[in-house]
Amino acid sequence: MTDLSVDVVVIGGGATGAGVARDVAMRGLSVVLVDRADLGQGTTGRYHGLLHSGGRYVISDPESARECAEENAIITRIHTDAVEQTGGLFVVTPEDSEEYSEGFMAGAAKAHMPAEEITIAQALSREPRLHKGTKRAFAVLDGTVDGWAMVWGAVESAKEHGATVLTYHEVDKIHRVGDRVTAVECIDRKAGGRITIDCRFVINAGGPWAGRIAGFAGCHDVDVVPGRGIMIAMNHRLVNSVVNRCIYPADGDILVPVHTVSIIGTTDVKADDPDNLPIPRNEVQQMLDSGAAMIDGFREARAVHAWSGARPLVKDNRVKATDTRHMSRGMSVLDHLERDDLHGLLTITGGKLTTYRLMAKRIVDIMCEQLGEDRPCTTDQEPVPTSRKTHNYKVTHRLEERDHHFQEDQIICECELMSKQMFTELVEENPDATLDDLRRRLRLGMGPCQGGFCSTRAAGLLCTNGIQDSAGATLELREFMKHRWMGLWPILAGAQVRQTALDEWIMRGTLDIDHAPGDENPPERYPVGVPTDSEAVEVAR
Amino acid sequence: MRDVMVIGAGLSGLVAAIRLRQAGLSVALVHKGRGGLQLGQGTVDVLGYRPQRVARPLDELDEFLADQHRASDIPHPYAHTGADAIREGVRYLAELVGEDYLVGDAEVNVALPTAVGALRPTAYYPPSMADGVISLDPAKPGALTAGSAVVVVGIREFKDFTPELIAGNLALNDLPGGGRLEARADWVSFPARDGEVDSTGLNIARALDDPARRGALVDQLKALVRPGETIALPAVLGHEDPAAFADLRAQVGSPMFEIPVPPPGVPGMRLNDRLTRIAKEARVEVFLGSNVLGADSAGGVLQAGVVGTTGHDTHLKARAFLLAAGGFESGTLELDSYQKVSETILGLPLAIPAGELIHDTWAGQQPLFSVGVATNDDMVVVDPATNKPVYSNLYAAGGVLAGAQRWDEKSGEGIAVASAVRAADAIISNLAGGQR
Repeated sequence: MTDLSVDVVVIGGGATGAGVARDVAMRGLSVVLVDRADLGQGTTGRYHGLLHSGGRYVISDPESARECAEENAIITRIHTDAVEQTGGLFVVTPEDSEEYSEGFMAGAAKAHMPAEEITIAQALSREPRLHKGTKRAFAVLDGTVDGWAMVWGAVESAKEHGATVLTYHEVDKIHRVGDRVTAVECIDRKAGGRITIDCRFVINAGGPWAGRIAGFAGCHDVDVVPGRGIMIAMNHRLVNSVVNRCIYPADGDILVPVHTVSIIGTTDVKADDPDNLPIPRNEVQQMLDSGAAMIDGFREARAVHAWSGARPLVKDNRVKATDTRHMSRGMSVLDHLERDDLHGLLTITGGKLTTYRLMAKRIVDIMCEQLGEDRPCTTDQEPVPTSRKTHNYKVTHRLEERDHHFQEDQIICECELMSKQMFTELVEENPDATLDDLRRRLRLGMGPCQGGFCSTRAAGLLCTNGIQDSAGATLELREFMKHRWMGLWPILAGAQVRQTALDEWIMRGTLDIDHAPGDENPPERYPVGVPTDSEAVEVAR
Repeated sequence: MRDVMVIGAGLSGLVAAIRLRQAGLSVALVHKGRGGLQLGQGTVDVLGYRPQRVARPLDELDEFLADQHRASDIPHPYAHTGADAIREGVRYLAELVGEDYLVGDAEVNVALPTAVGALRPTAYYPPSMADGVISLDPAKPGALTAGSAVVVVGIREFKDFTPELIAGNLALNDLPGGGRLEARADWVSFPARDGEVDSTGLNIARALDDPARRGALVDQLKALVRPGETIALPAVLGHEDPAAFADLRAQVGSPMFEIPVPPPGVPGMRLNDRLTRIAKEARVEVFLGSNVLGADSAGGVLQAGVVGTTGHDTHLKARAFLLAAGGFESGTLELDSYQKVSETILGLPLAIPAGELIHDTWAGQQPLFSVGVATNDDMVVVDPATNKPVYSNLYAAGGVLAGAQRWDEKSGEGIAVASAVRAADAIISNLAGGQR
């Protein structure tokens, strides 16, 4: 019994999977994209938001630097609604040696990447909060990306070209007949039941979970090692351009302004399980120290949320370093035909958000070659639907929108200027979306109050609009607050404690949310990953 | 020289200042901003959960304190004040403000509907909430009982009150005496100002202070209410005019009550304004907008508070000092990025529970929020390491006190008034016996 029949199934709705689905659809093949959770909920939604200029790689990996510089321009053009052209600085902080910076300009030239050394006075006039002891500064074309908006943009584009997108569909079987993949089977996490999708080809873009997925097709020993990193969002834009430490890549070497906040990242620690990524307090301290090296008064600034993400790094003993499928540093394609004598399956992991389109192009090229199809890639030619009529957004974009609707619409989330209409329209399009799903597209609850005021209003709107009954809305509210709070406790300090005390007074004191109907501490409704008995810290951005 | 300097103008600071003044002492009330009352809901919580719902807070106090004692090394503020000070504090407050502001009984809790449709226990409440009372005392039925019909009415222009959520949940609660309410949702429109779609509760309340504006709301309510129904509205029915609610209710002709909403809390503001007026009438000397930057001391005695007034710092001398400046929510207590907690005004030593201060879950209490200053039974601030007074003439009351989880227990106002009365009485008796 099959429910759908397509040319290609893409597993994984992060940037890579979305890019692959878009590319496949634009080449005229039929495609289904499946993800076990929401789009961009795993790896993509858990990064810091940098659109690389290439500056990070000018010394260690000039090839990557050149790719980043090229893709930066393309992404900026085709994803205007997701990219802010902030520019970036590479700075030598008082704590850093100047040795690394000696090679910076030469490396940039070699990678054909625009860069310019500026004086400390110029750097300080651009970023007044830079540490006064900064020794050198290089200006580059870093930008910032809203990872969710980018993924949604790519997916909207894929849909326009005929793709089907199934979120909350968890693959647990890949069917094969002999040496050929024939179908993918999934559990429908929200509606319940299972569906089977017949296909000619499967692209496994499962990120840190790619090894598990390859195993469903009988391709064992795909060993993806999750490299865990934590990130902390600071209230306000402490900087308005990306600030990188001009050092060999290290922990906490970057501060990225994204929308209303700025995000410091990140650590890199081998993790065992990508579904259980803690936010250790010693790493939080490390991030704060590093922030203080770049920015005066960083430790007194207000941290509003922390999260943990996993880089998917492949360790595959069967693939030799000379393998030509190793396209570039950081991106790995596993050809299961060559590796496991299985037709119709490719696994792609690693890579960078900045080069997601290029990665998709490369793997879809390989797929087309294996399928014997001659279909050129055009993903760099066409802006995604949400970007056709807009310029690159600026931090003030919502203020501008609100200005046009002044006195017509209520503001539900004051921190992020999210209006009732924005919320209602998205809910009506996606009636089964959780408040957390809606948050990723609307930034609901992502400002300083972390949901203290807006979440109850949002839950109320679900009721008023008939999407949820009161018990359902209360569950949504509790789950939402639970996820907000989990990313708050590890970094709670300073002014955010004051805010949190107020939020607690509202939620627990005035509303008595703990004694409203339903479970005080609800279990995850759409659990992802292998159930575990351990009390490991759950993390949700 | 003043007799007493009170720092903070929340519930405990105002109550203590008035009581001290009524005893004939000169009082300087120094505060940075308006107190926390205006963020609250205008009720007086004594003890609502321990963690099961509490029906008779003072009767259950000993058991509650025994459980607290087993769970934590930090004594609860009620362990110092005792039940008598709670009784006296609540009585004193209720008599000060009068029955237009507070009604109830410190001995028996009632449950009141919240803006997410929970039933929240409290001891005293504004008369505007009386028609929503659900009794926790089997002998005395409340206004709402099993089968009572409630229509929860939202105001379109006000976003912090969703009738469908409230009514739906209200109908799902089992009442303390068994049975359930019947509840339905409806809406009215009442822009606080012409053409306004996004009104604050305070602006709506101010609009309803104007008798001429009330008619528009009355007409809509009369049209929607069904016979036998009680109307529930957000607690925004009048701000400065204490008769606004009664007038609305009389004009509509149906039972009607207010449900508290997130801040700004209009019922809290009404109480705040009332107490502030009483303090001024009693000639408490008020220093508004003044940070206390530190203090002068000698020989274990505080001599003067350093107040950040315009132009220069004022060293305000007093014979006794009361710290009533609130807790973390007021900025009196602070946790820095190295996870060190401190008291920011006088740099006092703090009682800090053993173990992790913050754990990573949603449900349950965070030990951090029980951090505060330790006192003896006279509310004199002591060093928790030695139990010796830090300064012989420094007292503390309210949210700065260690050992309580106020929003979970629903004990905030009870602690504030009990500690305020206890501290004020200790100061009065010490100063009277001394070198006046």
